[in-house]
Amino acid sequence: MELRYRSLLFSCLLFLISQTAMAQFTVTGTVFDQKTGDVLIGANIYHADSNKGTTTDANGKFTLQLPGQNATLRISYIGYITRNVQVNSTASNDIRIALTSDVANLEEVVVTGLASTVKRSNLANSVASVSADQLLGTSPAQTLSGDLYGKIPGAEISANSGAPGGGISVRLRGVTSINGASQPLYIVDGVYYNDDAINNGSNQVTAAAAAGSSAKQEDPVNRIADLNPEDIQSIEILKGASAAAIYGARASGGVVIIQTKRGAPGAPQFSFSQRIGLTTISNKLGTRQFDADKAEAAFGPTGRTLYEEAAASNRFLDYEDLMYGQNGLLSKSTLSTSFGNENTSLFVSGSLQDDEGIIKTTGYEKQSIRANLDHQFSSKLDVAVSSNYVHSKSRRGLFNNDNSGTTFGVAMTATPNFIDLRPDASGNYPDHPFNSSNQLQTRDLFSNGESVNRITTSVQANYKIFQNEASYLQFRFTGGIDFFSQNNKLIFPSILQFERISGSPGTLIETTTDNLNTNTSAILVHTWIPSKNVTLTSQGGFTTFNNDQNSILSVANNVLGTQTNIDQAIELTVDQTKIFQRDRGFFAQEELNYKDTYILTGGLRADKSDRNGNVDKYYFYPKASLAWNISNENFWNVKAIENLKFRVAYGQTGNLSNFGAKFTALTPSNIAGLGGILIDDTRGVANLKPERQTEIEAGFDASLSSGAASVELTVYQKSITDMLLQRELEPSTGFQFESFNSGKMWNRGIEVSLDLLPVNTSNLRWNSTLNFWRNRSKVTDLPVPPFDLEAGGFSTTLGNYRIEQGQSATQIVGSDPEVDNNGNLVYRDANGNVVPEGQGSLSIITKKLGDGEPDFQMSWNNDFKIAKSLTFNFLLHWKQGGDNLNLTQLLFDLNGTTHDYDDQDLKIADFRLQAAGITSDATNAQKRLALLGISASQFVQDASYLRLREIGLYYDLPVSAISALGNTVRRIRIGASATNLFTITNYDSYDPEVSNFGNQPISRGVEVTPYPSSKQYYLHLNIDF
Amino acid sequence: MKLLNTFSKSALILSCTALLWGAGCDIIKIKDRPDPNNTELATVLNNPNKADLNTLVGGTVSGLRTDINLWYIDCGMIGREMYRFLASEPRNTGDLLGKENSQLDPGSFYTTRPWSAYYTNIRMTNILIQSSGTSEALSTEELNGILGFAKTIQAYEYLQALDLTNDNGIRAQVGNDINSVGDPLSKSEGFDLVVSLLEDGASDLGNAGNSFFFSLPSGFSGFNTPAGFLQFNRALRARVAAYMQDWQTTLDALNASFIDEGGDLKTGVYHDFTTNPNDQTNPVFADPDAGSGDSWVAHPSFVADAEAGDNRIAEKVKLRTTTASLDGLSSDYGLSVYGSQTTPIPIIRNAELILLRAEALINRNTGTDLSDATDRLNIIRNAAGLTDYGGPQTQAALIDEMLNQRRYELFFEGHRWIDMRRYNRLDQLPIDRPGDNVWVSFPIPEQENLGQQ
Repeated sequence: MELRYRSLLFSCLLFLISQTAMAQFTVTGTVFDQKTGDVLIGANIYHADSNKGTTTDANGKFTLQLPGQNATLRISYIGYITRNVQVNSTASNDIRIALTSDVANLEEVVVTGLASTVKRSNLANSVASVSADQLLGTSPAQTLSGDLYGKIPGAEISANSGAPGGGISVRLRGVTSINGASQPLYIVDGVYYNDDAINNGSNQVTAAAAAGSSAKQEDPVNRIADLNPEDIQSIEILKGASAAAIYGARASGGVVIIQTKRGAPGAPQFSFSQRIGLTTISNKLGTRQFDADKAEAAFGPTGRTLYEEAAASNRFLDYEDLMYGQNGLLSKSTLSTSFGNENTSLFVSGSLQDDEGIIKTTGYEKQSIRANLDHQFSSKLDVAVSSNYVHSKSRRGLFNNDNSGTTFGVAMTATPNFIDLRPDASGNYPDHPFNSSNQLQTRDLFSNGESVNRITTSVQANYKIFQNEASYLQFRFTGGIDFFSQNNKLIFPSILQFERISGSPGTLIETTTDNLNTNTSAILVHTWIPSKNVTLTSQGGFTTFNNDQNSILSVANNVLGTQTNIDQAIELTVDQTKIFQRDRGFFAQEELNYKDTYILTGGLRADKSDRNGNVDKYYFYPKASLAWNISNENFWNVKAIENLKFRVAYGQTGNLSNFGAKFTALTPSNIAGLGGILIDDTRGVANLKPERQTEIEAGFDASLSSGAASVELTVYQKSITDMLLQRELEPSTGFQFESFNSGKMWNRGIEVSLDLLPVNTSNLRWNSTLNFWRNRSKVTDLPVPPFDLEAGGFSTTLGNYRIEQGQSATQIVGSDPEVDNNGNLVYRDANGNVVPEGQGSLSIITKKLGDGEPDFQMSWNNDFKIAKSLTFNFLLHWKQGGDNLNLTQLLFDLNGTTHDYDDQDLKIADFRLQAAGITSDATNAQKRLALLGISASQFVQDASYLRLREIGLYYDLPVSAISALGNTVRRIRIGASATNLFTITNYDSYDPEVSNFGNQPISRGVEVTPYPSSKQYYLHLNIDF
Repeated sequence: MKLLNTFSKSALILSCTALLWGAGCDIIKIKDRPDPNNTELATVLNNPNKADLNTLVGGTVSGLRTDINLWYIDCGMIGREMYRFLASEPRNTGDLLGKENSQLDPGSFYTTRPWSAYYTNIRMTNILIQSSGTSEALSTEELNGILGFAKTIQAYEYLQALDLTNDNGIRAQVGNDINSVGDPLSKSEGFDLVVSLLEDGASDLGNAGNSFFFSLPSGFSGFNTPAGFLQFNRALRARVAAYMQDWQTTLDALNASFIDEGGDLKTGVYHDFTTNPNDQTNPVFADPDAGSGDSWVAHPSFVADAEAGDNRIAEKVKLRTTTASLDGLSSDYGLSVYGSQTTPIPIIRNAELILLRAEALINRNTGTDLSDATDRLNIIRNAAGLTDYGGPQTQAALIDEMLNQRRYELFFEGHRWIDMRRYNRLDQLPIDRPGDNVWVSFPIPEQENLGQQ
């Protein structure tokens, strides 16, 4: 039987080949937009049977040689609805093919399951997608996460500081976890792309973690920054468990699926783009204006002396300009090519990026090369290989909190405008009279460099096991490797002010980290069409994930001369940390599609991992969803509405515990040569299991037939149980922390996306997208007493994030005077009883003072295509609500240098003024300083903002100008753009978008003197040839 | 053959890949690997060998120094001996000095970190006690040796905690169960616990033979045998007895300690510091002339109140080139008690023992006690370049003089606040800014969940 089948296939093949050899015809035609009549440049014409294809040229025309007498051509173009067109040898000249605009993106193909895709019109989830054009079309950001601002409803994307090179948090649909991972899982061409943020060890010098909070505050970069945005073809974001369930125990933060560009058959096509730009500080704060008395009050007699010295020659310096005033040059060049034949196609791209920062000696450079190969071995087997090498270097200065006066930011707070920290003619820097470091000296002589070499390779093989009219079985194998080697080097020469006086002058800190991720998946997908209206897609498979990371931190003190090798020092300490992870999972999914009207999906994933207490136990994560395309029903006769779909989806995912949580460790100690082991502060837990997230999402999509508008609305509830909590133990047990699973929390939210085409004529096409999203969270069950997050602040005196039952997960609490029902201050005696004022002391309690969650966020993107060759677009982003903890202002106040120190416009509630014993005509700083210890409310500040994220104007040179350069040039585009052009906010610091503690699941917006944010202006040149 | 040809290349490639994949990795099974970064507790709790116990002892001695700088800052600032100016930590000059309306916060680092450090070390001593009891490698004497060591250190750590939280009491730790919480103890119950541990420890040390099987670092040299360590135990007992105002016990314990009136005042047991890997450096050493924003300076009264000719001034403080000031406070003298980052810090030393003997005699006040006490005070005075005491021979005046000598001899060693407090003289400490307070007790850390005022 088998042999007969094979010979039948063989003879069919022979027949086809013979047919091909005998007859051919050539078809020519033009592709244009149905509404406006404009030609479409670069539209794809594809003939499936012979696997031939081409694209339309600058005039919208194409030529294709086809075998046989007739053929079906598939015409497609991004943003338009694909059409199949019949051609035959008799009518094959100058065919005119019209395509209609696809405002609702119905044709877009979206990945569901691990190996299947579905058309957006049939999708039961709200999956956001960002195309290459949307990613980079207006104005670029320095790294990928920055290109996503405002484009994904439901996502809170926020930079941790303005430092170059990355360090941006992406949180989908609110709070995913309290202590577990919260960033999404990134999958790039099938590789599980590592997004760790590795610290650089600067805490050794800054001692940031030595007092109020022991969390790291080193402003690391998370590694998604290595990916080159220019290589990306499409991004899909699965925002929660209902879509991401099939990814199992690593997908609680959502999944971001990235596909990079692939080659297309045909002659080589090149694309070159160059951007040059300028970066400059977004917002300067200013500084206090002194007189001799104020100088003495703040800095003592030395202050008066220095002030008078400066006043004598009117030498008042603008330190913000000296430190942050560099207009950094930005440059990125990309060259890519795509070519191939019927069986093989290749996409190769190379990119060089060199960006300076707004601070001298800081910046970011990246070199990236990619080669994507697609090869069809036979009609059954095709293989896609994607390979990418990236090398990047970033220099981010030294910022954020410290307990040593050494970071640039803290030093700036101690710097009044009447001192002179500049070097003399011989390059000697004076000591800072009021601080342990001279920030100009530190900036110029110290270095903080991060160098990363990264190779990512994936192989995806599809094997069509069999195919007939009714059923189709394929096997897909994916293997991916992601390796990076990161080296962080901090050099503090012994000549620095704080190094000279230390017992061991000169510090070198070097961290070397090697990380290897490997993942494989083997999946069978079966598509069965038992009858005309029914399609059943089944898939099942097995995935593995391995991670190994080895990080060595060496700290050398008492350095020999100006040497920088780590062994050129008298004292050396070394710390090694290893992390490993092994995950294995099975999954199965079934999808039933009835007439494209009812699409029902069900699936189950089983995962085990060595992060769990029991490494052999499988945890199960189900999913189910239903999409109902009402507009495909027979009874639907509303002509105006092209597509109306209702959808509901449910799913569960897991979130694994952090490495080491299950161990009770004794760490090495050494006292005068006697080695030992000392228990760590964390008690291990043997029965740890993953967190479980359950999401239910429902919504509808609708689009008008005229193509003028489409809307997408989704409501969701994300519940998290078995939360990984790290409870603070009673320290008298000898331990301070322990992980355990318990507690419940939910997030509820709404996402609305409105896509409009208000104007669509041949001279003006205006596409406008409005996104609105809002999330609320609540901790519903907390089996431990309320606790303050270690990385959520420094104490209730200064404001802290606190997890408490019945409250929002992102609440900020702090000290505040107690008031009774009449709004009067409360006084209590030593026993806690309420007494009249004078008989007891002021009662100060801890209250909720704010919340980090925004009230809502909106983004408004507009694309204008004017007169066919001019494109203008801009993206506005509005975040309303959401509080920050502004501790930068506190440091300025304590040092007497705040820009509004002497102003009198700060409004404080009367009861607080009374509690602090000040009147409303005190200066701003007097009020804030008097409140220190009484209330933390002055630190909790509204961080709402309206920001023009991107704005760009582009011009395509007319065909006549291009053809003068020869036939090879297809398009030349020039443009100008700006990123973060302006921000409207009442927040009184450098940027309302900030996080001292880096990528945190909950506690963002705590700021302690960060690297200031900047805006960028660009000029662009793009040549396709 | 035809079959081989039709068995497409594709399938062949696929099967090769599958083979490679299968052979190359541990496909389905996951190994449960131990912590790659540290020793796990379970491995040392049951029948440890001598090497394991040695490392636990090493860890315990090292752990005596965890966050030790906060002990000196807490005691030194409240006792008005010194200021720790740090621009980025406003609570040093705020909370600790009771600035305006601030309180001692049960959640802030100055309360929580010392407490955690002491109890972590108490846990280490309990692990030592528990594990050495199960060890088959120890003789009875060796076992007594390590128990004596552990109980003495445990008593010392409880005493440290009690010194800070004072009237608020402390909390017991459940020795053999890391998962249970112990009972709160009042101040007197706390002292009773310390005393019983010191006494048990002493009797163990008495039956521990001539030597320990484990090593101790150089800070314990002279005290690293059972007999020597017993002297250290008795010295601590004397200090505790003085705090409890049990003067006879103070004198008896001193007689069994290492007190040596003709010997070096600096003899004693010390915390060591080196710059070796994994070791710590002296955390209270700093350049006396450092910039105001990060400096350790002496309270101006230390120099202002000194007797002329007291050479301890030159030894312990240094005149700065510029005045240090922060937050409304200032000083012209930087601390130079510790000369380098490897200078050891005393746990208890001969000078304190001589002063304790003087104190006990003055308070006992029977027979020739007052003049005997004056002789001891003169040992201290003479060593500091001062003439003999010439004031009245009354108990009240001698208490003043004894406290004064303690102030200058034991400057910045964590005694001043405790001494003034136990003599109810906290109101005699200088107030630098209107509204400042002198605290009496630290709160119990709020993480203990004991609910307090």
